[in-house]
Amino acid sequence: MAKPTGFMEYDREEPAHRPVSERVGDYREIEELLSGEGIHRQAARCMDCGIPYCHAYGCPVKNRIPDWNDMVYRGNWRKALDLLHSTCNLPEITGRVCPAPCEPACTLSINLPAVTIRHIELQIVERGWSEGWIRPEPAGFSTGKRVAVIGSGPSGLPAAQQLARRGHEVVVFEKSDRIGGLLRYGIPDFKLEKWVIDRRLDQMRGEGVVFETNVNAGVDVSEAYLRRSFDAVVLAAGATAARDLPVPGRELAGVHFAMEFLTQQNRRNAGDAIPEGEEISAAGKHVVVIGGGDTGSDCIGTSRRQGAASITQIELLPKPPEERLPSNPWPTWPAILRTSSSQEEGCERMWSVQTKEFLGEQGGVRKLSCVKLDWTEPDAAGRRSFKEIPGSAFELRADLVLLAMGFVHVEHGPLVRDLGVATDNRGNLVADGNCMTNVPGVFGAGDSVMGASLVVRAINLGRLAAEGVNRYLSGR
Amino acid sequence: MHFALLLGFGANAICPHTALSTIRELAESDTLEERLLPGEAVDKYVTAVKKGLLKTFSRMGISTLRSFLGSQIFEAVGLGKPLVEKYFTNTASRIGGIGLSGIAAESVARHRRAFPPDGHLRNADRLLDVGGVYQVRVGGERHLWTPEAIWKLQAATRLDDYGIFKEYAALINDQSQAHATLRSLFAFRKGTPVPIDEVEPVEAILPRFVTAAMSFGSISKETHETIAVAMNRIGGRSNSGEGGEDPERTIPLPNGDSRRSRIRQVASGRFGVTTEYLVNADELQIKMAQGAKPGEGGQLPGHKVSPEIARIRHTTPYVTLISPPPHHDIYSIEDLAQLIYDLKSANPRANVSVKLVSEVGVGTIAAGVAKAKADLVLISGHDGGTGASPLTSIKHTGLPWELGLAETQQALIFNRLRDRIRVQVDGQLKTGRDLAIAALMGAEEFGCGTTVLVTLGCIMMRKCHLNTCPVGVATQDPVLRARFGGAAEYVVRFFRFMAQDLREQMAELGFRTVDEMVGRVDRIETKTAVDHWKAKGLDFSAVLLPPGNAGNSPLHRVRPQEHEVHKALDYEIMALARNALDRKEPVRIELPVRNVHRTVGAALSGEITRRYGAQGLSDDTIHLDLYGSAGQSFGAFLAPGVTMHVHGDANDYLGKGMSGGRIVVTPPEGATFLPHKNVVVGNVVLYGATGGEAYFHGIAGERFAVRNSGGRAVVEGVGDHGCEYMTGGVVVVLGGTGNNFAAGMSGGRAYVYDETELFDTRCNLDMVDVESVWQEEDVRLLRSMIENHFRYTGSQRAAQLLENWESRLPLFVKVMPIEYRKSLERMRMEEEMNTESVSATEEVYRG
Repeated sequence: MAKPTGFMEYDREEPAHRPVSERVGDYREIEELLSGEGIHRQAARCMDCGIPYCHAYGCPVKNRIPDWNDMVYRGNWRKALDLLHSTCNLPEITGRVCPAPCEPACTLSINLPAVTIRHIELQIVERGWSEGWIRPEPAGFSTGKRVAVIGSGPSGLPAAQQLARRGHEVVVFEKSDRIGGLLRYGIPDFKLEKWVIDRRLDQMRGEGVVFETNVNAGVDVSEAYLRRSFDAVVLAAGATAARDLPVPGRELAGVHFAMEFLTQQNRRNAGDAIPEGEEISAAGKHVVVIGGGDTGSDCIGTSRRQGAASITQIELLPKPPEERLPSNPWPTWPAILRTSSSQEEGCERMWSVQTKEFLGEQGGVRKLSCVKLDWTEPDAAGRRSFKEIPGSAFELRADLVLLAMGFVHVEHGPLVRDLGVATDNRGNLVADGNCMTNVPGVFGAGDSVMGASLVVRAINLGRLAAEGVNRYLSGR
Repeated sequence: MHFALLLGFGANAICPHTALSTIRELAESDTLEERLLPGEAVDKYVTAVKKGLLKTFSRMGISTLRSFLGSQIFEAVGLGKPLVEKYFTNTASRIGGIGLSGIAAESVARHRRAFPPDGHLRNADRLLDVGGVYQVRVGGERHLWTPEAIWKLQAATRLDDYGIFKEYAALINDQSQAHATLRSLFAFRKGTPVPIDEVEPVEAILPRFVTAAMSFGSISKETHETIAVAMNRIGGRSNSGEGGEDPERTIPLPNGDSRRSRIRQVASGRFGVTTEYLVNADELQIKMAQGAKPGEGGQLPGHKVSPEIARIRHTTPYVTLISPPPHHDIYSIEDLAQLIYDLKSANPRANVSVKLVSEVGVGTIAAGVAKAKADLVLISGHDGGTGASPLTSIKHTGLPWELGLAETQQALIFNRLRDRIRVQVDGQLKTGRDLAIAALMGAEEFGCGTTVLVTLGCIMMRKCHLNTCPVGVATQDPVLRARFGGAAEYVVRFFRFMAQDLREQMAELGFRTVDEMVGRVDRIETKTAVDHWKAKGLDFSAVLLPPGNAGNSPLHRVRPQEHEVHKALDYEIMALARNALDRKEPVRIELPVRNVHRTVGAALSGEITRRYGAQGLSDDTIHLDLYGSAGQSFGAFLAPGVTMHVHGDANDYLGKGMSGGRIVVTPPEGATFLPHKNVVVGNVVLYGATGGEAYFHGIAGERFAVRNSGGRAVVEGVGDHGCEYMTGGVVVVLGGTGNNFAAGMSGGRAYVYDETELFDTRCNLDMVDVESVWQEEDVRLLRSMIENHFRYTGSQRAAQLLENWESRLPLFVKVMPIEYRKSLERMRMEEEMNTESVSATEEVYRG
């Protein structure tokens, strides 16, 4: 254990964020690293619990959190890095963008602020990169088996890396022009600068992973080709079909899916030119973001940086409580009011609001017609329903509307159709305990199986799919 | 453990080459916590192994390596008969299990990990196994408590939601299906279900619940009292544990709740076992051992011994407390019967229970316990609690309660003793299913420890020994205690849920009452056992053997024990002392005494304490002159106000648990021998005394004043192990001592007249300093005690010393425990600082 009384001696210290006035002027990451002494103190707060809920309950990839906290406390950064990598392929990503379900599960958080687990993870892996400890770890042998991974996001990458390290020949097919999927184009630079991904891709190339960009599997290469040329196929295409809001006026110009908007800014940051007429910009506009989740926040931060005149975020659900409700006890994920760094940069937030109609002029959106909702208390099954509050209708000014209402499921495109893989009633791929779909040799990973979720869950499913493929290929 | 096992099966030498080379490598790569040369690191490892072995030997009551070699003091669980017969001949292995091929399969699997068949070691496999034996790690050792189980149990009891409790129970029972316990291999044999309304109500089942013995000291005041309140609300019984109990807790709270522990434990340390403690109990439990760490006494590290705890335990703050492994007054089943009789004498209204651990042979012991007239026997399983046990004990000692309970039930029925004793079981009973199996196997009462702590906020930190429990359960730190978030309602709900869950099982099985159900092993089957490759060889037929039951004897208790305490001499004395008892008038009684009169004075003392509380009567109100040889446990639990003068001699265990009063033993008038050369009282005198004074005109036997924590005594010579484990009080020895004086002595002081100046060769200097008597305070105390000795006994030796005081005083030595001295200094400093400022005191507390 790090230090038995550490949690009694030191308070939680958050890594600093660059000041709002400074950071809204650029797209660089906003979080800074704690000092060496600071991180030592934070690691000292870990209590090495008999049951570490962070590890055994909170963390989807089951990071060995207490062990590496102890190693960081003792300065064994190299060991900590190896251990971290043994459960997570992309700690530099999760260390930056993970909402860290480990932290509300931390035993300290029963009655004190949790250990800064996510930040310790980030420091371990960044130490590894700066020390040059992270190098390709090729298998050193070949099984002669070939695996195609469809999609290069947070699920496809770990799957590919795990399989390559098991001696399989891995080709990753990405329909976009750059590798990274949602990590590359979905997450704004102020949360994740893209060189962070490139660094990891170099390692993977060194391990023999082949990346094919601009290949839309099922269209540019056929299902038949994939089946013929590969011993196994991993579908890790994400859940990119966005949830729409089919109300009158949806067709008006200025109403976009969040991902269109975010992708474009990421391209711009990467130096790409956006074709005339396709530009979506918040500059000088009154922006309304529909949806109160992380994607919504990313839209707020991006709109702010683009120079929006005003930003309003509306959410269908009621405002969450400040503190955990008794029915939502530790160590479960707390459904409480959070303020993201983007929200902190300035926006108006409204809850229990439903959009009835987009109102426009000359084909462009100008206003939203909304109504306030009254939610019932949850019933025995935890479900709650709403009704409109009579006379609560109001209008919101909006020149740009960004739909950030989540994603429904994997795209049911030609590949899914031609492979003949089954989907469940929510539209997700159906996979067995080995992550294999109903089609032998075809596996599902990440959001395409579980629906849109956290990066860290995608990593976990990518790793599990790799295990399944490996068992399948080695005939076990 | 590995070393002990090898030696125990006959190895004469062991070379742990992998361990040694690993340690060398760790030292060479500088990854040890402390920077050491490889040779030094290996030396330390060997020292640690040696210490561990000594500890193991001592737990087994073995003193030398030679006696331990080949002793085979092990029981196998899960090894097949042929294997055991051939390689571990005569070792008990009651349920059979795997053979050589099973062992080979596991070895091969381990080897394959390091040397894969295809020759390619994957990077991922280069890291060691996750382990997770003591701290949970996903992919490592399976633990019964999972994060989900913990929070669901807490949520269920907090929100009063039986639905969540059922989810919790499903998680636990499902894990049971994963072969983590023996009971997980059992299934119920179907019966004719009865409607649940016909099953006895929750309220009828609640009195069958007790909480496990967890002392105030190991757990916080808040936790201890909350458990007591809850158990009193449901009509169950909470257990004081071995740490005494604040007398204040017998007074009900304004809202009608009671913080009194109905069960009070009498363990080897006898901490806080005063007469008052005994008379306020409904049940007195003699702890022979703890399921989770058999062979070991409790230990309370000094930083948990707060001033309040020290007060209640009659010890010194901040001084580590060690309960000796054995009871110093129990060396045989007759001794146990004697202790039962002693306790029953002091408090005839209390039931006496005996806590045993599950091990082979426990049935025989339980039968002995029943014959020794205990009212209840508790069989404690290995996977029970104690978050702070030594790691080796957690892992390698104790056995499942299923084995011990089965053997106990069978032995009691076979010996036709089952009808007169209740059987209780504990050890991770978590759900109604566990209770149902325990009942079917013969238990009529059920104990829960860990689960109760979990409902009160315990999250299985396993930090109980560090005083850093972050939820205020197992800590004495005031800051952490303030975080305690439990409430009695949670515990009440937990037991109601358990009872309800059991009722549902009963309805399913077709039992209307628990009594009908107890001992019906025929309703358990084990066909699931064959589902796992390692479980294939298991054979539970001996464990689940239906009792022969020729005499058709009952399967549960139907009648009380016949204790016959009312025939004791004390009842004659009480009749003669009526004026003193009723009106506090002084009385003087003269009676003959014989060695068949056991425990003289205990019943009288119990009566005084019941009437007048701990302060008893004023000095010498009842003066007894008894002529002859007094029997065992003379003056046990003596209360203030009673003087007992034996003119003759006395047996073992005199003054056991003495809480006040005065005992004087002098040779019979007209004796021609020299008193200071002859033994006048037996062994283990003043064991666990908390007060009072005693004067012996003659020599005492061995273990004089063992675990004394408040009694004052003058004696003219003692045998071996004098003042062992003493934590308080004063002993004056006016003559020679045996060897090993003051072993484990952490408090109090002794003065020894060291005529030959050889005392320091006989004294165990591990924990004490020997110094001359020069401080005025010491001189005054010593002299006054010798003067008293002369006054009460007329000792010529005392007279001579007093006459030549100036020349004899330099021959006296003072034995002073080192920790005790430090603690006294600390308390003195605290007192001084208290007058200055509060914050300074805090600093000392934390120092």
